Amino acid sequence: MNRAQRPGGNSRLPDLLQPPLPRALHPGAWWLWALGLAVAASRTTNPILLALILAVAAYVVVRRRGDAPWALSFKMYLLLGALIVVMRVVFRIIFGGGQGDTILFTLPEIPLPEAAAGIRLFGSVAAEQLLGGLYDGLRLATMVVCVGAANSLADPKRMLKTLPGALYEIGASVVVALTVAPQLIDSVRRVRRARRLRGAQGKGRRALRGIIIPVLEDALNRSLALAAAMASRGYGRTGGVDPRSRLVTGLLVVAGLVGICGGLYGVLDSSAPALLGAPLLLGGGALALAGLLLGGRRVRRTGYRPDHWRPAELVTAGAGIATAALMFLTARVDPGNLYPSLSPLAWPDVSMVPVLAVLVGALPALLTPEPPRSGAPLPVPTAEPRKEPVA
Amino acid sequence: MTTTPARDDPQAEQRPGVSPGKSAPDESVPGKPARVTPAATPPPRTKRSAVRRATALRVGPRAALTLVGASLIGLAMFCWPLLVPPQPQSVAHAEQAPLLFVVLLPIILAVVLAEMTEGGLDPKTLALLGVLAALNAALRPLGAGTAGIETVFFLLILAGRVFGPGFGFALGATSLFASALLTAGVGPWLPFQMMASGWVGLGAGLLPRRPSGRAEIALLAAYGVFAAYAFGFLMNLWFWPFAIGDGTQLSFDPEAGPLANLHTFFFYTLATSAFGWDTGRAITNVIAIAVLGPAVLATLRRAARRAAFDTPVSFAAADHGGVPRR
Repeated sequence: MNRAQRPGGNSRLPDLLQPPLPRALHPGAWWLWALGLAVAASRTTNPILLALILAVAAYVVVRRRGDAPWALSFKMYLLLGALIVVMRVVFRIIFGGGQGDTILFTLPEIPLPEAAAGIRLFGSVAAEQLLGGLYDGLRLATMVVCVGAANSLADPKRMLKTLPGALYEIGASVVVALTVAPQLIDSVRRVRRARRLRGAQGKGRRALRGIIIPVLEDALNRSLALAAAMASRGYGRTGGVDPRSRLVTGLLVVAGLVGICGGLYGVLDSSAPALLGAPLLLGGGALALAGLLLGGRRVRRTGYRPDHWRPAELVTAGAGIATAALMFLTARVDPGNLYPSLSPLAWPDVSMVPVLAVLVGALPALLTPEPPRSGAPLPVPTAEPRKEPVA
Repeated sequence: MTTTPARDDPQAEQRPGVSPGKSAPDESVPGKPARVTPAATPPPRTKRSAVRRATALRVGPRAALTLVGASLIGLAMFCWPLLVPPQPQSVAHAEQAPLLFVVLLPIILAVVLAEMTEGGLDPKTLALLGVLAALNAALRPLGAGTAGIETVFFLLILAGRVFGPGFGFALGATSLFASALLTAGVGPWLPFQMMASGWVGLGAGLLPRRPSGRAEIALLAAYGVFAAYAFGFLMNLWFWPFAIGDGTQLSFDPEAGPLANLHTFFFYTLATSAFGWDTGRAITNVIAIAVLGPAVLATLRRAARRAAFDTPVSFAAADHGGVPRR
């Protein structure tokens, strides 16, 4: 009965249940999501929560990364995170640090000469000491891995498009760099073939020069040809810039920098009034940012196929922000389990709210469209639902 | 000698009066559209040293002011572990200060780059910047796997020398940015790397102009050694409190004075990177500059001459019917 009802009732349902067409999400959404997770990780040293955050980030990356070169970088970040953890623990074994009564083992102590700031190597190693290093290292490693998740999910070329207008020229030259870099390989190959055809079989120094200089010359020639092409199409015509807006931009930027200078002083010297610290620093930053945005309005530019913020983007960014916000909320309500106790040693516990907070971060893996894959043909999602009524 | 055929030479197609079949390369002023004519004939090349250094990116007084201010702020953000006065209660501050820096340094860097390119960037500068950044970004992974072989600085130093301090700064920053985008290495460390390598290029452009020939190569090689160690020192200093956490004997101690912390940091950097990475980087710089330096400098100077950055440009009314004047 249930099955029989379905075909009649689902005239609209298949449209909703169909997976959305594959597309790449706005890179800003992925960055907000990842930074949210990283902020959440920064609020805890609980290894269970950190492992959960790592798992969530890895799951989303595996589900939603494309097959572009940058998508493969996640492994590198995992290795980097592992390196951070190992380094922290090894440093604690060699150089001491932290106290503890639970001595695991004792290494022969090596005192260094007086000049070396009275440093002693090795000595007894306590469990608290190692765990402290492990927890701290795991927290930093998790934050780094979150950044790595953003790197492998967000398209860097699309990210360049979101640069503010004042940085248009620098952004354009970075686009040139990204475009030219793969061509260099081709250039090297051509130069080497030409060398071989000429019968040059030098090795070492001369061969290196024989390859690098022609490649450099080739690249520079190409850049001048590109510049000629751009100039002939009217690039670099800035038109008249309103002197008043120039003045305002300059004033905002200089005032912002002065504010940041004052704020730096306030932040570093805690005897300075509190208002001189972070508020002044951030205020100066905001002023400078305003100058940057104002300066970018001197020329109106249009974008080709701009990225829009659609529901999937909002869900992704919202998931990251929600994770961070919930974690802050728990820190206020029940901070105990976020920083597991080292003395006395105790197994880390987790409560429900932070776990839910982290799990919210996994939503993008389910609620966002698949990334487009270059090799694969477009999926035909309509094939199955259409068959069903017939069957 | 170059292997580039003049296949898609845009001048040949764009400039009226030049028949498309005839693609004689115009060596003196590439990149000028039809209506822009050099005010004077290119400066006579009586002395070869006339183009010893071009100014590819002119830094005006306002941009220079911003650059100096931002560099001071940046330096403070790098050296914050040494600037904190000894005080027991600063622990809370020291926790939040570096996080604020991570947020603010990108803004400062953006402001400097925006001010430097304010009023538009010459297309030739833009294209050169892009292509040299691509070369740098391609050179960087060559050494990344092998301990200490850091190839990113040698071309940066030579280009800063030829194209001037402003271009050197922009090239240092864009190279690291492009490299991070290519290898997916964007992270909180990127603004610090961009700033530090921008300084490396800036310093190369500010070296005394007088030396030439072997003396110049020696000067640049010595600068390469200095830059390698200074870069390593700054990057280490910024990340030191994060890298090993607190509590160990090599850790940053907010209650100790700057000198004591500097002493500790000295041993930290000796223990972690000075022998391996920094020395490897310095040796790579010296060898690359000594072996490839003269040829690369000549190539870059040729490009600077062809780009004619310093040639004044004036706009003349178009002739009737678009017939070229020449």
